[in-house]
Amino acid sequence: MEDIQEILEDFLVEAFELIEQIDQNLVELEANPDDLELLNSIFRVAHTIKGSSSFLNFDVLTHLTHHMEDVLNKARHGELKLKNHVMDVVLESIDLMKALLHAIRDNGNDTSIGLDITDICTRLDAISSGEDGNTAPAVTSEKPKAEVAPVIEDDNKDYSKLSDQEVEDEIERLLKMRKEEDKKRRESSGVAKPVTPTPAPVAPTTASLSQDDDDDDDGEDKKSSARPSAPRADASAANTPAKKEAASAMEQTIRVEVKRLDHLMNLIGELVLGKNRLLKIYDDVEERYEGEKFLEELNQVVSSISLVTTDLQIAVMKTRMLPIAKVFNKFPRMVRDLSRELGKQIELEISGEETELDKSIVEEIGDPLVHIIRNSCDHGIENGKARLLKGKSEVGLIQLKAYNEGNHIVIEITDDGNGLDPDILRSKAIEKGMISEREADGMSDKEAFALIFKPSLSTAKVVTNVSGRGVGMDVVKTNIEKLNGIIDVDSELGRGTVIKLKIPLTLAIIQALLVGAQEEYYAIPLASVLETVRIPLDEIYTIEGKNVLRLRDEVLSLVRLSDIFGVKQVYEGAEHTYVVVIGLAESKLGVVVDTLVGQEEIVIKSLGDYLQGIEGIAGATIRGDGRVTLIIDVAALMNLAKGITVDIRASSETAVKTKTQPSDYVVLAVDDSAMDRNIMKKSMEPIGVKVIEASNGQEALNMLKSAEYSIDAVLIDIEMPRMDGYTLAGEIRKYSKYKNLPLIAVTSRTSKSDRLRGVESGMSEYITKPYSPEYLESVVRKNIKL
Amino acid sequence: MNDKLNQIVQKQQKQIEEPQKKEDDVVQLVGFIIGQEEYAVPILSIQEIIKPIEYTRVPSVPDYILGVFNLRGSVIPLIDLRRKFKMEPSKVSEDTRYIVMKGRDNTAGFVIDRLTEAIRIKGSHIGPPPETIHAEKGLVYGIGMRDDSILTILKVEQLLKRDF
Repeated sequence: MEDIQEILEDFLVEAFELIEQIDQNLVELEANPDDLELLNSIFRVAHTIKGSSSFLNFDVLTHLTHHMEDVLNKARHGELKLKNHVMDVVLESIDLMKALLHAIRDNGNDTSIGLDITDICTRLDAISSGEDGNTAPAVTSEKPKAEVAPVIEDDNKDYSKLSDQEVEDEIERLLKMRKEEDKKRRESSGVAKPVTPTPAPVAPTTASLSQDDDDDDDGEDKKSSARPSAPRADASAANTPAKKEAASAMEQTIRVEVKRLDHLMNLIGELVLGKNRLLKIYDDVEERYEGEKFLEELNQVVSSISLVTTDLQIAVMKTRMLPIAKVFNKFPRMVRDLSRELGKQIELEISGEETELDKSIVEEIGDPLVHIIRNSCDHGIENGKARLLKGKSEVGLIQLKAYNEGNHIVIEITDDGNGLDPDILRSKAIEKGMISEREADGMSDKEAFALIFKPSLSTAKVVTNVSGRGVGMDVVKTNIEKLNGIIDVDSELGRGTVIKLKIPLTLAIIQALLVGAQEEYYAIPLASVLETVRIPLDEIYTIEGKNVLRLRDEVLSLVRLSDIFGVKQVYEGAEHTYVVVIGLAESKLGVVVDTLVGQEEIVIKSLGDYLQGIEGIAGATIRGDGRVTLIIDVAALMNLAKGITVDIRASSETAVKTKTQPSDYVVLAVDDSAMDRNIMKKSMEPIGVKVIEASNGQEALNMLKSAEYSIDAVLIDIEMPRMDGYTLAGEIRKYSKYKNLPLIAVTSRTSKSDRLRGVESGMSEYITKPYSPEYLESVVRKNIKL
Repeated sequence: MNDKLNQIVQKQQKQIEEPQKKEDDVVQLVGFIIGQEEYAVPILSIQEIIKPIEYTRVPSVPDYILGVFNLRGSVIPLIDLRRKFKMEPSKVSEDTRYIVMKGRDNTAGFVIDRLTEAIRIKGSHIGPPPETIHAEKGLVYGIGMRDDSILTILKVEQLLKRDF
C-alpha cells in the first residue's frame, strides 16, 4: 500500500512539473508551429502522463491523455497542422488534465469530481481524424520521415509507425547522453556516475504495447511509470540553448521535502541569534579586559563563527530559492487566452526569469502578478484599431522583467497601452467619497496613481469577465504588503504604465533598524526604511491636527512611535528628535523615535497563536542580550497612524511632574552594611530629602526598575554581594531615562584604577571612605541641585 | 472472519478507554496561591516553572497580558493571573514564579504569587464549579475538596485561549 502511495506522490509532483512545462511549450509552439523539437517534447509529456496514470488506474485521465496524444502524434508526424482552433482544443484539454490532476491530489482519484471528458475527446478525435485530409497536403518538407506517409492510414499501423519513430528518437537521445557521460567520465574519473535513465529504452515498446492493448500486465506498466525521468530531461532542455543543455543534463539533483528545509532554516535562525549574542558578549568583554591576550583569540573565534554562520545562512537560503520562471511560465498562456478573449493582439515579453526568490515568496507573488497583467491586457492595451490611430504598432506589448537590486528583487510590468489618467482617478475617488476635493487638489500625479490600489475603485467603464470590479489591485496591495514589498506606479497618458514591485529576497531572516521609543525598543524591517533624519522639534508643523514635516520638497506626515504603541513617557524629549521615514507599497510616513540603535540582522519569530494579529506588530525577535524585541508591521503601523492626533511639539514641551521642595526628592542608598547606610542617612538629614535603602545591587536595580519611586540620586557602595557597584552603575546607565541620574560611588577603594573603573561604569561622583558628613551632604546637594 | 475482527476492534477500543478511567481516579495537580486563594492545574499541563525574568511589553493588548519573554529561544506570552482574576496587581517578590503551561496549540507563562505543593487528589473529591464563582466564565474545571482546605482547579485549555 505504502509503495503505491509513494508512487502516487512521485507521479503528482512530476505531473505538475510537466504540465507547467507543457503550457509554456504550447504557446511557443503556436508561434513556431514547425518546431519539431517542441512538438516532440509536448508529445512526450502527454505520453508520460498517460503511461503513469494508466499504471495507477486513473482511467479518466488515461482516456483524455490518450486522445490528446493522438492529435499531438499526428501533428508530430506532420499529418496535422496546428492552427489556432486546434490549439484551442488542445489547450482546453490540458486544462481538463490539470483539473483531473488536482482532483487526484485532493481526493486520490479522478472520478469523484465527475468531470465529463467525452465532449473534448470527441473534438480531439474529430481533429485527429476528420481534418487530416485538409492538412495533409499542407505538410512542409522539413520532416524527412514522417511526411513520407501522407495518406491517412489504419490506426494500428499508425501506432506501429510511432514506435519506430520513437525508437529512433530514443536511440539518438541515448547515444547523445552516452557521449556526454563518457566525456564527463574522462574529465573526472572519480566523480559519481550520473543516474542513467535505464528504463528509457523500454519506453517505446511499452508505449506501443499499452496502446495496442490496454490490459497490459503489471510488469510492463511499471516500466512505463518508471520512465518519466528521461523525457523530462529532454523537455527542459528543449528550450535552452545547446550549450546549456549539456550542463543541465549533467546536474544532479535530490528532491527534498520543503518541511526539512524549513526545519533547517529554523535551526539557522537559532544559530544567527546565538551569533548575535556572541558578538554582544564579545563587545562587553572587550571593554572590560582591554589589551589582554586572550581577547585576540576570542576575537578570531567570534569573527570566524560569525563569518561561517553568515555563509551558512546564505547557503541554506539558496536551497530554498526558486527561479521566478516558476511563476512567469504561466503568463504566456494567460496572455494568449486573454488576447483571444478580448480580441486584441498582445505580445508578452519575459526577461530575467532565472532570477531566484525564496519559495514562500514565489508562492505569494503569483496572484498579484496575475491581477496586474490582466489589468494591463484589459485596461492598458487598447484594441488594434485604436492603437493604429495613435500611431502605435497594432500589436500591444507587455514586458515582464525581473532583476536583483541589493537585497531585493524587482519585478517590473510594463505595458505600452493607454496609461493612467490621474485626473480621472482623482474624480473617481471623489465620486466614491474616498478623498475630499481638497485632498484631490493637493495630490501629485504619483499619489493619484496610487489610488488604483484602493478597494472598489475601478476606472474601467465596463465590468468585463476579465477585470473592472475594483478588487484585483487591492489584492495586489495586500499581498505585496504581506511580503514587506514596495509598489511603485508610473504612467504616462497614452504611452503606457510601469508597475514596479520591490520585494525582499527572504522572509525568515531580515535586516532591521532598531529604534527606541522611551524605554522600549522596536525593530523596523529595513526594507521599508527609506531614510532617517534628525530634526529640531520646531520644524514640526501642525496642519488640521496632523503633524507634518517638510522634508526637501515633500510634506511628510509624522507620528510618534510612543503614541502609536502607548509607550509610557518616562523622560523628556530633547530639542532634536529622530525621524525614520518608512515607505510601503505606495505610501510614506515619518515615524518619530527617541533613539536610533542601529542596524541588525534579526530572525523573525511568531508571537504564537495567543498573541497573533496584534495590530502594528509583525512578530518578535530575540536580540543579542536575550531580550525580546517586537518587530513593527509597517503596513498596520501606517493604518494606526491615521487615528493619532497628538501634537508632538506641544506634548514634548510639557515637562514631567516637577519637584518643588526638598522632601519631594528621593535618594537611594545602596550598601550591604546597615551601619554604612545609617551614616549616609544621617549625613543627608540636613538636606531634608527622603532616603530609601537597598542592601545590594540587585535589590537596588529592581527598585529602580519598578519605578515605584522617582529617584533623584543613588549612593553606591562598590563591594556588595549579588551585584557589585560597578555592575549596578552599568546596568542603570542602560536605561535611557537614567542617562543623567547622579550615581555617587561611596567606597573605601581608593586606587586610581578603581576610580577609573568607576568613571567607565557610569558613576558621576566618587567619594572615598571615610568621609565627613558635610562632604557627602555637599556632593548630594550639588548633584540634585538643591 | 468479520466477527473476529469486530471482537479485536472492540477489545482495542476498551483498552483505549479504560486506562483513562483509571487515571481519572487520582488526579495530580500543582497548587499555587494567587491573592488569598489556592488554585491548581494538572501537573501534565505544566511545561516548567521558572523564576521571574525580564519581559517585553506588547502594545494594544488587555492589561493582564504583561508582554512576552524569551524562554530559551521561544517567544512566549506572559499573563498576570492576578489581573486576569481582577485582583490588585502585586509586586514581584522572592516567591513569585512564572508557570509555563502548554496546551494543544498554545504555550504561555502565568505569573503567580507563590507555589504550594504537588497534590494528589481523588477524582471523586472534585466537585463541579459553583455557578457564579468567577467573573471569568469557564475558567474553572472544578473545586477540589481536601481535608483542611478547598482549591480551585483551573482549565488550562481555557486559560490558554485568547479572549480578546
